[in-house]
Amino acid sequence: MATTTATLSISSPNLMPGSPLSISASATLTKAGVTDGLTQLESGVISMVTGTEYKLGPLATEMAGDAHDIASYIYICNTTTEDATYYIDWGIHETMIGRLYAGDWMFIPWNASDDSAEIEVEPQGGTNTIEYAFFNSDFILTTAAS
Amino acid sequence: MATINASVTINSDISSYPTAISKTMTMTKSANRSVGLEETTGLRTKRFTTTTAAVIVEEDELTDDTAHKVYIRNASTSRSNFFYVAYNASAAAAATAETIGKLYGGDWMLMPFDGRIGITVASSTATEVQFLEYMVFADGIVAAKG
Repeated sequence: MATTTATLSISSPNLMPGSPLSISASATLTKAGVTDGLTQLESGVISMVTGTEYKLGPLATEMAGDAHDIASYIYICNTTTEDATYYIDWGIHETMIGRLYAGDWMFIPWNASDDSAEIEVEPQGGTNTIEYAFFNSDFILTTAAS
Repeated sequence: MATINASVTINSDISSYPTAISKTMTMTKSANRSVGLEETTGLRTKRFTTTTAAVIVEEDELTDDTAHKVYIRNASTSRSNFFYVAYNASAAAAATAETIGKLYGGDWMLMPFDGRIGITVASSTATEVQFLEYMVFADGIVAAKG
């Protein structure tokens, strides 16, 4: 059984005066509701031109399971090194949730409840490059055309 | 100016070519990427005993469309229970398009957030107590209205 661990460290000596911040968290990522490890991985690096919305990763119907309410986790890093005008709007379906600026990373669980819950990214300011990784247990391949 | 560093490490042996992601970002302002974030709503821990959805981040507390970061961790240990996390002012039901994902016991997330709509959570269980830890690293807090 595969083991996937995600560890976080957040620190700041001076955000809260007199109280240095130190947050540490570590999670072993498992299938939904059980302790079995995740078994599938999709990762890549993509350069995207500005002003276009892109779907990142699979749709719910491209994953196995009845309700598609499975445990999926996504890491995305904007590896662009440009100025503050470069960022990626990210969201679920048509709802944008935040801006991933150059050099920033994010790590979230993804519900993938249906095909209207896909991860969307939209570069702004110019061409942005991201690296990403999906950790899951239920990707299925699309049937090849005959 | 505060300095806030966030590091992620993800290790996995899902594939025969092991995954080892390691990335650090310094949280900076959207208007000037060389200036660190200076505000926070504080580190909070909340005890949940029902499945009623609750707002943990108020949208009118933050400046819109900047470089906020939101940290959330399910501080409980059971992998059978979880919190829905949603970008939504009113509910965190499984079927809403804005549901981001499920945080199982021990899971954490760190995501960029635009401050336009609140963040809600809902515990999956009313029979077991769950604890949630969360913190907003803010790029602009709107002063409380009198």
